[in-house]
Amino acid sequence: MAVTKMNAKQLHDKIDSGQPVLLLDVRNQDDYNDWKIEGKNIQSVNIPYFEFLDENETTYKDLPKDAEIIVICAKGGSALMVAELLDEKGYKASYLEKGMLEWSQFYHPVTVADDGDMKLFQINRLAKGCLSYMVVSEGEAMIVDPNRHVEEYTSLAEKENANIVHIMDTHLHADHISGGQALANQTGARYYISSSEMQGADMSFEPLEEHTEIRFGAVRVKILTIPTPGHTPGSVSFLINDKYLLSGDTLFVGGLGRPDLGGKAKEWAQSLYETVFKKIALLPEDIIVLPAHYADIQEINEKGFVGATLGEIRRSNEIMRTENREQFTEKVAGTVGATPPNYEEIVDINRGVIKVTSDKATELEIGPNRCAVHHG
Amino acid sequence: MNGDKVLDAKGLSCPMPVVRAKKAMDELKSGQVLELHTTDSGATNDIPAWAKTAGHLVKEQSEENGVYKFWIQKG
Repeated sequence: MAVTKMNAKQLHDKIDSGQPVLLLDVRNQDDYNDWKIEGKNIQSVNIPYFEFLDENETTYKDLPKDAEIIVICAKGGSALMVAELLDEKGYKASYLEKGMLEWSQFYHPVTVADDGDMKLFQINRLAKGCLSYMVVSEGEAMIVDPNRHVEEYTSLAEKENANIVHIMDTHLHADHISGGQALANQTGARYYISSSEMQGADMSFEPLEEHTEIRFGAVRVKILTIPTPGHTPGSVSFLINDKYLLSGDTLFVGGLGRPDLGGKAKEWAQSLYETVFKKIALLPEDIIVLPAHYADIQEINEKGFVGATLGEIRRSNEIMRTENREQFTEKVAGTVGATPPNYEEIVDINRGVIKVTSDKATELEIGPNRCAVHHG
Repeated sequence: MNGDKVLDAKGLSCPMPVVRAKKAMDELKSGQVLELHTTDSGATNDIPAWAKTAGHLVKEQSEENGVYKFWIQKG
């Protein structure tokens, strides 16, 4: 027998097939607890690779001989070593060739809507819990909140025979590096973001606040920009055809965006309150909310995308019904937890203030997403 | 701090720094100190985690110009 190597897409296809998948993650316990591959049908076991260096049968005691074991580590080296050890002992072993490094850069597009005149894709960067969107109509495409691996979007647009004409960020991202500017440079499309997000920025952009409605395609695809401050002062949401709300980091399936990343948690929490009870409250219950992040795989619905109706979100999140301003502020400003790793540096990159190499960008982005707050 | 043995694992990537460190440690007596040099940033978490599992003690660690140094006392 020989060990089989697997890339991120092959691993995802396996997970997506619904069959039980056994992952043996051989990174150290802290790294594993901080960030790991999760899925509804995944059984995950953590045994650090260095525990396999001693000939000790108890290390293997929880591993079945009759099922495929997929070994995962940070970059692939340790996983290969462990997979080979398992193989020698008669286990069925394969390994993720470039480890969590590759997993962090894997994107999976899902069709959310296909209305004939308009197609809406959610592009899920699983490892980061980052969601971006492509709206296509009659050969033209709009991309919302693109991540930095811009070829994911250009190849998807190509597949749909569409030219990318509009690119927007709902806000200045703090947890991942935006692909907005790079994608605009590559495609010639316009890049939009709120001016208030870009103070001191060293890049050109189209001020989003000057556009209350953007249309593209021969068919009417209406996009309203709704200022929804709270997570950041210049956050906006896009309402597409009165039906789909791309809510950025303002509203999630499982809660609201954290207001503390600017060092003014209480103040921004007030804006979030206004947004929730004076703007979002006016929208109909049945619009479909599509956020820029998710924190838990439970947020992926039965159709395979992360989203829920506004009514469902109201029902399942008490914070959406907490109309007492003080209680609301206390809740959203008080329960935010660990900040996204390297967020200050990432914000500077997204403003064009500093530039980094691709390797450095990968390193800065590694780890889970921490933009959502869970209100218990 | 001086080690009883110095292991240069610079340029090696995971899992080799830990694999080499384990081999070097096997040749030391309890209480002796291994000085390990590595350029693998993953080692900053892995070396202490391995040492803890194996019952060794990281007495000191440092980083200078991308070289991580560990002084590990055999348990």
